[in-house]
Amino acid sequence: MSAARSPSPEPEPDVPALPDSRSTVRPSLGRAALVAAVGLVLAACTGAATPPPTIPPDATGALVPAATATVPPSASPAPAFPISLTDDEGAAVALPREPQKIVSLTPAETEVLFAIGAGDRVVGKVEDPAKFPPEADPVPVVGTFSGVDVEKIVGLGTDLVIAGGSGGTQPEAIQKLRSLKIPVLVVYAPDVATVYHDIELTGDAVGESDAAGALVERMKADFDEVAAATSGVARPRVFYETGDQPSIYGIADDSVYAQMIGLAGGTPITTGSATNWEMPTEKLITADPQLIILGDSAYGVTADAVARRAGWAAITAVKNRAIVPIDDIPVTRPGPRLGDGLRLLVAAIHPELHLTVPSQNPSQNP
Amino acid sequence: MAVGQDLLARGRTAVRWPFHRRPLPLAVIGAAGLCVAILAAVGLGSVTVAPGDTLAILAHRLFLLDLPRTWSPTAETIVWDLRLPRALEAAVVGLGLAVAGTTFQGLLRNPLADPYVLGTASGAALGAAIAVLLPVRVEILGFRLLQLLAFVGAIAAVTLVYRLSRVTGGSPLTSLLLTGYALGSLLAAALAMAMYLSGAALRQIFSYLLGSFDNASWSELGGALPIILIASSLILLRSRSLNGLLLGEDAAAHLGVDVRRERAILLGLASLITAAAVSVSGLIGFVGLVIPHLVRMLVGPNARVVLPLAAIGGAILMIVADLVARTLGEIPVGVITAVIGAPFFLVLLRRAQRGYEL
Repeated sequence: MSAARSPSPEPEPDVPALPDSRSTVRPSLGRAALVAAVGLVLAACTGAATPPPTIPPDATGALVPAATATVPPSASPAPAFPISLTDDEGAAVALPREPQKIVSLTPAETEVLFAIGAGDRVVGKVEDPAKFPPEADPVPVVGTFSGVDVEKIVGLGTDLVIAGGSGGTQPEAIQKLRSLKIPVLVVYAPDVATVYHDIELTGDAVGESDAAGALVERMKADFDEVAAATSGVARPRVFYETGDQPSIYGIADDSVYAQMIGLAGGTPITTGSATNWEMPTEKLITADPQLIILGDSAYGVTADAVARRAGWAAITAVKNRAIVPIDDIPVTRPGPRLGDGLRLLVAAIHPELHLTVPSQNPSQNP
Repeated sequence: MAVGQDLLARGRTAVRWPFHRRPLPLAVIGAAGLCVAILAAVGLGSVTVAPGDTLAILAHRLFLLDLPRTWSPTAETIVWDLRLPRALEAAVVGLGLAVAGTTFQGLLRNPLADPYVLGTASGAALGAAIAVLLPVRVEILGFRLLQLLAFVGAIAAVTLVYRLSRVTGGSPLTSLLLTGYALGSLLAAALAMAMYLSGAALRQIFSYLLGSFDNASWSELGGALPIILIASSLILLRSRSLNGLLLGEDAAAHLGVDVRRERAILLGLASLITAAAVSVSGLIGFVGLVIPHLVRMLVGPNARVVLPLAAIGGAILMIVADLVARTLGEIPVGVITAVIGAPFFLVLLRRAQRGYEL
């Protein structure tokens, strides 16, 4: 239990499971002393046991068929309540009537609920440092990185909680809510197809199936358009940096990051492990990325700082100064803006395509 | 009966304990404080429930009074299913840790001893970490795998320490402490490895290490409360042995204490309490270390007096710390116990002029 490395501000790489990098990591900095005291090597341990995606990261063409295969037809009629749904952890969630007081415990689900027209029924949300969408701002916060206020959720008269799986929401809190007879729908999207599925699942749960189906159709069309634009382009080797302290963090094999980079017309350089996000410099130099994308730019990592790193001058991307910052919340938040994130990635990897990049409110930096 | 007390007092006539001859008033004050703390913990929270409703719900559920229902079902859930078991669980855990701390300090004759000193904490933490990493979901009578393995880990660690210490050379107390330290370090290393490999489950392990009463429920309380209360009462019944051991082994033997047997029994009981406490609440530090000292500074070292007062003090500190932690939000309860307790302790330490000893 000896004190080890200090906590680092790199984004939490377990993106699909957790709300998003900024909301999950920043609050933990306040606990730096405690974290160090228990010898928590936070940064080194954030690699998640991400289930393998149903789609290989670079199989651009395979995306749509795979997605449609796993997702029920979106034109299905709005389900009548009572309804029983199966969530992403296999639990049966029974909803006796259409939920009127919804609590969202992942920022992505907050975005989904507002995007499908259920925003006026959201009575509580998890803290979202990116503050998106702006209309969700007045909704009271009932959860943060470190905990869920079960009492507050009960006090709001909540009749549906949508929580994050794979540790995104504390499993104990989910258990507690269920023991109090509050329905909890757990969602966890390790890949793009499941993001679609979760949006439709959310739509079914709140009685907005049609709107959810329409949203998914728009997203698929967006992904198709990008796929068409990036088909046949050269696929540069891309290193997506998720953190620089205490060591360099990239992306794990089969993570949603790797899939997104593949879809955006790049060849992702991964750590070679499905759970470890740490990227040894030697390995990175050997892999020789042609482009470095700074997903950790919100934490002050700059191209100049990258170029000054010992040994990095040998990397092609550094020689050519092909180092670009990115707003990583749309890229990794498994919600309605995933298509925007994909376009941001394409703009970084293939600026020559001049693909339209969304001009909506950028995520606010914390 | 009071032989230990007299001996202890005679050696230290110069030291004055403010409540040495008056432990009863202190106990009454303590009991009143405990009631106030429980009521405050049940009445306050992130949702406002009218005090009248809170009392009515308690009266309705506790004494089965047939009151007109002026409160909402939501308020009843919050008061009865969330706050009350939580307050009682904090009380029981605080009580247990303070009693176990008093016992360990006396047994080991070491002012730095706390309930976690003989490997219990590392054993429980490793058990919890293994439970988090195992991909199975077991629930027996409302107890999750984490609590079961934390309990087993704590008991296994302290048993191993005790066994190992008996085959090593040197004085029994020293070898017990050193064995505890060595095994604790080994288990901590295993824990660090488990945490390193835990991926997304890290947060669960981490929150166990910080300790909290977030998951308190009637079923959890039903498991921990009997163990802690029964074992604490048994320790109280053996406070004469504890007094004897405090004087040293030879003196204890002269007083007719079967040193080896009594030490094993007290050690076992205190470890059982600790294991039950950490399995439901995680590792909350400070209470078990400081409350016994605090009480001793007030009433002197007689275990018969110290044990019950430490029990009350531990319960109060833990309830208040948990109340502060959950109303302020985002602060681990172990941090609060230290922040409340440490300054108070330092003030008392300054007041206890010359020669506060165990």
